[in-house]
Amino acid sequence: MSATPPMNYVGHTFDAPFWDGCLTHRFLLHRCTICERDYWPASTCIEHGSKSMEWTESSGAGVVHTYTVVHHAYTPEWADKIPYALAVVRLTEGPFFHTNIVGCAPADVHVGMEVTVFWDDIDADVTIPRFAPITPHSTSTNKDNRD
Amino acid sequence: MSRAADASISGRFAVAGLGMSPQGRSLGIPALELRKIALENALTDSGLARSDIDGYIGTSSEMFEDIRYLGLSPRFAWTMQSGGATASWSVLNAVGAILTGQADVVACTYGAAPTSGGVVRVDGSRGGFGTYSYGYPAMYGMVGAGMAHALHARRHMHKYGTTSEHLGAVAVAQRAHASLRPDAQGFGQPFTLNDHQNSRMVVDPFRLLDCCRDTDGGVCVIVTSIERARDLRSTPAVVLGVGTGHNIRNWWTGDVYDMHDDIAPAKATAFGQAGIDLDDIDVAALYDPFSISVIMQLEAYGFCGPGEGGPFVTAGNTMLDGAIPTNTGGGQLSGFYATGFTALSEGLRQIRGEAGPTQIPNAEIALVSGHGGNGGIQNTWAHATLILGADR
Repeated sequence: MSATPPMNYVGHTFDAPFWDGCLTHRFLLHRCTICERDYWPASTCIEHGSKSMEWTESSGAGVVHTYTVVHHAYTPEWADKIPYALAVVRLTEGPFFHTNIVGCAPADVHVGMEVTVFWDDIDADVTIPRFAPITPHSTSTNKDNRD
Repeated sequence: MSRAADASISGRFAVAGLGMSPQGRSLGIPALELRKIALENALTDSGLARSDIDGYIGTSSEMFEDIRYLGLSPRFAWTMQSGGATASWSVLNAVGAILTGQADVVACTYGAAPTSGGVVRVDGSRGGFGTYSYGYPAMYGMVGAGMAHALHARRHMHKYGTTSEHLGAVAVAQRAHASLRPDAQGFGQPFTLNDHQNSRMVVDPFRLLDCCRDTDGGVCVIVTSIERARDLRSTPAVVLGVGTGHNIRNWWTGDVYDMHDDIAPAKATAFGQAGIDLDDIDVAALYDPFSISVIMQLEAYGFCGPGEGGPFVTAGNTMLDGAIPTNTGGGQLSGFYATGFTALSEGLRQIRGEAGPTQIPNAEIALVSGHGGNGGIQNTWAHATLILGADR
């Protein structure tokens, strides 16, 4: 996808450290410093509660866990963006991250595809993390690959 | 697994009234009016007087307006919302209210007009059910429940080799049912797998005919004790068991996209209360906004093994003469979309022997499911299991 979606999302202030981190291309996750489990979006550790949560830089890498290629514009602002790949990436640290897959055709996205963050610097105040295949030419990838 | 199910409520309560408004596209009837029509029809169905309703469970933020406009005088009125699980859980809440002495007769009412002005969302905006958006994923174009369910479908295809034709088999089967039912949107309009395959791709892997359409409509069910229900005009549908499960549990373990819902605890609780096994189910009414939902629920309930749902449906097992007749009114896909009240009303009709051309002969036990909870970052959260039985 080449075009930029509208910034029509006003996030929870709880997540502000994540979006601020994006401006300097740091992919932060909300980590429990006791068990070192990472969470996204901002959360509370299911074992240790909220007191031990800190935003911590992570790898910004993972695999496509599942995805859909969107062919229908449910709202007008997406009409000139279709088709686009909406994916859930399983980050190396564990959490899921909803995103777009860029850097390959939507038809080439597949479950198990290794991806890494692609920083989409929209303007001085907005950077959105999308994900792109680590191997640029992925059309020959085995689609039966199990992750 | 859930705690041991308390069987003590089983058989003590019944749905004693069912009221439907017209269900359809662009009816031009306000949601509040649809709820009024549904309630009036439920009162007529049961023979209860308006003054008998001493508990009211609404399913929208407009609940307080409901009770005034509908001329009710309940001792309590509350609204509850857990997406498509709301319908069956409203029955659960009604049972709880009656058990604890809050009321004797509880009306649970739904009514929405997404194609006549839209539904009121949590943030006050209006739109069809299909334009719900999701927290930060909305920034990436995650709009509508279709995408949320497509994420499950893709996982299922990846893990088990489920195909678009398998999905199509669900759509074709339910349209076959709907084509026989005058109250269904698909009445008189059967379609073939070829039609399904030729329908346009919407959100891969869903084609147009894998998706339900919004419709306007209202539904009201009235819950009371089995003793009282037996004295009323309508045929009681006995509440044999109710169960709950929540996919947040699978979110924490990273299995949420592999699991359509958290069905295991809901099933264990409801079946435990009812004292039944899967073989005892005569007919299933499963929450089915998208074709994959039927496949994954048939597997999770155990009607077939994991990954076998597609071939199971393709082999005709969900047809009227199949192993488990499913969504005999066409479901949401081809009947009408009244959230969880689609499945609930069909389960009731089967138990009451009022399903007309798609009535399963001697249907004594019906499985009703509900699923949903739009918002946050996903919508496949809550799961409800309701077991309804004939009073025999």
